[in-house]
Amino acid sequence: MIGNDIVDLNTIKPNWNRSRFLDKVFTKKEQHVVSVSENQHQMVWLLWSMKEAAYKIYVQQFGTRFFNPKKVVCYLSSSTNGYVTIENITYATTSTIAKDYIHTVASLNCSEHYKSAIFKVENDSYITQSESLKRRFLETISKSEGLNFKDLNIRKNIFGVPKLFQNNSKLPIQLSLTHCGNYCGYVYF
Amino acid sequence: MKKNELITKLKSIVEPYIQDEEAFKNLSEETDFVKDLKINSANLVDVILDVEDAFDIRIENDEMEQMVSVKAAMDIVNSKLK
Repeated sequence: MIGNDIVDLNTIKPNWNRSRFLDKVFTKKEQHVVSVSENQHQMVWLLWSMKEAAYKIYVQQFGTRFFNPKKVVCYLSSSTNGYVTIENITYATTSTIAKDYIHTVASLNCSEHYKSAIFKVENDSYITQSESLKRRFLETISKSEGLNFKDLNIRKNIFGVPKLFQNNSKLPIQLSLTHCGNYCGYVYF
Repeated sequence: MKKNELITKLKSIVEPYIQDEEAFKNLSEETDFVKDLKINSANLVDVILDVEDAFDIRIENDEMEQMVSVKAAMDIVNSKLK
């Protein structure tokens, strides 16, 4: 299983300097990692994207949603690799840190050979972005799998997990979609 | 606090963060912050902090855990205001 999350570093709204924000989101250890970091803004959103990417797998696995970012615990083993635990489950994460965005892919099994992409869209309205992200993903799948683009569609289950369909049959491809500000990303295998 | 009064107050709190106008217009107890209003999960932290400030309450992390809908937020606020 796979999950991904992108953060647009220029447009991300929450002000993490707001009192109590860090305390709601990060464990004491994570807050320490942020406080000693040279680029705190980047570190806050790196850890956040790790949590989100791992959480998206958890929702697929257990079919239950929750909002408690502190229960999702990050460990960095290098500047871009790490792992995240939720209860007693461990997810491996790999992040891409760019000047304008951070993208993290989480997987349940490190050996999964996933494909991922990141792209920029000029229009940052939610609907437009969501639509162009889906279209771009379906175009990619259509090409790589040799399937007719018009037959493909994405449906979300009741937990908001996207599933890929060819007409009415579900395809054995796992995917995760993400967008934030002017950036979109997807991952699949 | 009366139900309608509470919904109105919550509605004004979430407004800056919503990404689906239509769902916002039709906001009810059943509305889901993420699935319906498309509130970005990082902004959900803001919503919770704003709720804490507006009602002068503190929400613990385990209480926040289920706070993904208007109904759940109302239940938590009500339990704190008693």
